[in-house]
Amino acid sequence: MQAIGQVFAGQTLLVILAAAAYGIFVGAIPGLTATMAVALMVPLTFFLNDVQAVAAIVTTVTCSIFAGDIPATLVRIPGTPASAAYASDSYALTLKGQHERALSISLVFSVIGGLFGTLTLCVAAPQLATFATQFTSYEYFWLYILGLTCAAIVSDESRLKGALALLIGLLFSTVGLGTDYSVPRLTFGSDDLITGINFIPAMIGLFGLSEVLRNALAIGRGDGDAAPLAPPPVESTGEGDPTTEWPGTLQFAVRRKFSLLRSSVIGSVVGMLPGAGADIAAWIAYAVSKRFSRNPEQYGKGSVEGIGDATGANNAALGSAWIPALVFGIPGDSVTAIAIGVLLMKNITPGPDIFDASKDPAQAALVFSIYVTFVLANLILLPLGWAAIRGGNLLVRIPRRILLPLIVLFCVIGSYALNGSYFDVTVMTVMGVFGFILELFGVPLAPIVLGLILGGEVEHKFLQCITKDSSPATFLASPVSIALAVICLALWAAPVAKTLLKGKSNIPT
Amino acid sequence: MMTDHLCLKTVLLGLVLSLVAGCSRSQEYPNRPITLVVPWAAGGGTDRCSRQMAAHLEQELGEHVNAVNATGGKGVTGHNRGLGARPDGYTLLMATLELSMMHWSGLTDLTYEDCVPLMSINEDYAALFVRHDAPWKTLGELEQAIRDNPGSLKASGTSSGGAWHLALAGWLMAGGFDVDDVVWISSTGSNPSLQELISGGVDMVCCSLPEAAALLEGGKVRTIGVMSPQPVAGYEEVPTFVSQGRDWSLGGWRALVLPPGTPQPVVDKLKTAVRRIVTGETAIVSGGSAAEGTPSIQTFPEFMDAAGFDRTWREGDELQTFFAETDEKFGVLLTSDAMKSVNTERFNSMTWPAVLMGLIGLTLVALVATHFAKGKTPVTDVPETVAKADSTETAQEPISRQLTGRGVLNFALIVGGIVAYCLTVEKVGFPIAAGGLLLVLLLSLRTRVSVGVLVTVATVPLMWQLFAGLLRVPLPRGDWGF
Repeated sequence: MQAIGQVFAGQTLLVILAAAAYGIFVGAIPGLTATMAVALMVPLTFFLNDVQAVAAIVTTVTCSIFAGDIPATLVRIPGTPASAAYASDSYALTLKGQHERALSISLVFSVIGGLFGTLTLCVAAPQLATFATQFTSYEYFWLYILGLTCAAIVSDESRLKGALALLIGLLFSTVGLGTDYSVPRLTFGSDDLITGINFIPAMIGLFGLSEVLRNALAIGRGDGDAAPLAPPPVESTGEGDPTTEWPGTLQFAVRRKFSLLRSSVIGSVVGMLPGAGADIAAWIAYAVSKRFSRNPEQYGKGSVEGIGDATGANNAALGSAWIPALVFGIPGDSVTAIAIGVLLMKNITPGPDIFDASKDPAQAALVFSIYVTFVLANLILLPLGWAAIRGGNLLVRIPRRILLPLIVLFCVIGSYALNGSYFDVTVMTVMGVFGFILELFGVPLAPIVLGLILGGEVEHKFLQCITKDSSPATFLASPVSIALAVICLALWAAPVAKTLLKGKSNIPT
Repeated sequence: MMTDHLCLKTVLLGLVLSLVAGCSRSQEYPNRPITLVVPWAAGGGTDRCSRQMAAHLEQELGEHVNAVNATGGKGVTGHNRGLGARPDGYTLLMATLELSMMHWSGLTDLTYEDCVPLMSINEDYAALFVRHDAPWKTLGELEQAIRDNPGSLKASGTSSGGAWHLALAGWLMAGGFDVDDVVWISSTGSNPSLQELISGGVDMVCCSLPEAAALLEGGKVRTIGVMSPQPVAGYEEVPTFVSQGRDWSLGGWRALVLPPGTPQPVVDKLKTAVRRIVTGETAIVSGGSAAEGTPSIQTFPEFMDAAGFDRTWREGDELQTFFAETDEKFGVLLTSDAMKSVNTERFNSMTWPAVLMGLIGLTLVALVATHFAKGKTPVTDVPETVAKADSTETAQEPISRQLTGRGVLNFALIVGGIVAYCLTVEKVGFPIAAGGLLLVLLLSLRTRVSVGVLVTVATVPLMWQLFAGLLRVPLPRGDWGF
């Protein structure tokens, strides 16, 4: 009760409102991740009390992960890596003039997913944390393999091209000085490359700059340099006012209630594992969604089902990422790592006792206020997200010849801002041209990004495993490992099974 | 057109005025935001110390101090960035003990002699952790277990060859063991290592005490001992290795340093400020706890104590001697035959990239083969509505038909423009470089000149305000100070 009082104190509500606006703003700027949004806020938390500090962090993250969908939809630059899985889908809808539909689905599914993640955190944190800490390098190895499998199978229009993209991403991830080696690899003597290829500038280049380059070439042909990116809305989808999208979106959410539940569960489970986060959750949910969909051919070309499921999962992951952080002080993602630092600074030490009101009522109240803030943050996201969507509506009306140079400038600043490095700008530019060339040959870009994100991890975990014990049998020694391996296998084998069942449109589950 | 011009003039006037206002500021150091380079990731110990230090410095100097994480390359990237910056006092570096290690393993030429040290603010000693239910209670028992079964126990804590690995190796060598008698499992940091420890993946973790504070307090792990000369303040109950008969100590340090060549008045001013901070003469308002109500005031030492960090500080000759001693210690360790044999890789680092390149080759061959087998690019049948949008999306038509002179020029200008921006921005500063890039691209896409200028003049200051002002992401400044 005390906690509710603390959260609803006037000042705290003001902090939440400001953090929400800030989160949407930063999340919508490509290159500025949710982690960075929180890191930039740390000095401000010095001046806030403990409840306000935690509320500010929780709200910022919740809002920025949704806001990452906005530039992904409008200009195909994922605002945060968590939006990369479905950027092609939502951008395809924009090109058809349906960006409001895409974004309102993103918003509603984000909120529902986020609330589910909060529920997981409230109900079962101590029990689930025990499960999460059973993950050793073997289980992580299989989890990352599952993530990579998902990237490969979502592009099954041309499986070979999808595999090619994934392999390229994995190869890029080996550049530089890794954890396991004392000599840098594939740097060709360049000092800059020792750092490796950062996936944020790579992502901005592959998705954003390549699209600008393609448009710039097309403008030379004379078609539509004054035209905006998106055609005017088709009549049947309303007159450009997102409010007309609400009834349809809500109906859609009700119709997809089971798949939404599935995605939220996937998001919550992946989110609470330290070292896996919202981005991997989005990928796995997207791939599973496609596997079970009746319209898998639409995935990658504007599937609202894929967008909804993946965006629900990445927001669900946020709440459950706090589970290992609060119970063991082991952060579930980079954001909770910063959050733990802030908690320690406020004299709060995470641990199993933190939930026990009989031991320390103040700490237990704080934990409760985290739950309340998560709920509030998700609710406040609805009106603010709606306002952001309206704002984005103006963006797609800007003529291309003005919009494209502005996007170029944002790509440059966004890739610079992350690390303050010109090398990152170079990476962004090279990846832009590279992505442009790959798209000419119909190679999907999203698997490259996941390959870059997971490549280092999967190699690292594999090496950890074989350093511990060189016998291959240990890879399947635990029940969790076996379960994950079986899921991987099933995802690969499903299309074969489908063929054997003579093209029935629905896979038996 | 008239209104266009009027509007343009107003905006230009505004810009000129704001520039003049910017120039008329105090010429004394510091008169613009300062960047503090942090070579490690957000959320870690170095990051937390740095951000707190930045907040205090900001109050002390009256200018923004922005912490920027420049991570990667096991610390090489950040140290290079910080020490390679313009030596004008506007870039500081939170150097860590890796500065004494990297040059021994040949990763960089930088040593502690390539910086102007201000002050070391913290020394955290390595400690050894085991699971709460582990059979060993003391260092002696653990050493006996290693002696009985050499090579069967596994340890983790950081990357192979990292500071905590060296701490463990130094202990083993001091005890007369072989470095390989405890297998080191390389990991990305203390958090994933501790996760491995409590999940049973490794038997012990070597990292600093504050890094494991939460698990220690929660009773999930125990300490065998800490590798410090004296017991650590705040952890007095933890026995040192020395007190358990093993004469070995090794600690990490964090120090504020400046690039070589920084003017002496700037160094002195910063030194005075940092000294006031570490001795607790400055304080920032801290929100405290909501349950207790009123906000409190917190000094830097109070923060360090609350967060569990050691707060030994050194400066001047004492710091130089300390740097030299640590450097020598690492030199002995890293150049010893025993460590060299560990550092030669267990696995060839090029195996995995080679496998990937082979697979990419195979995939390409398969793609070409399917292309010729089918005679044309396979076109999947898609519903008509989708296919329409798709034709623009994947650009199925041959490239040659897409190329026009203007299009190629646009393409080249975008790529060339970004390159030109990167090359000039450190000289002319962000506003001019970004404005130039934007204007050239606008004009090349046939925007009217007046509209182009207007968009540029409106956007660039807005972006500057947005990033440098509001979000406090430092944007590059040129030789003229903006």
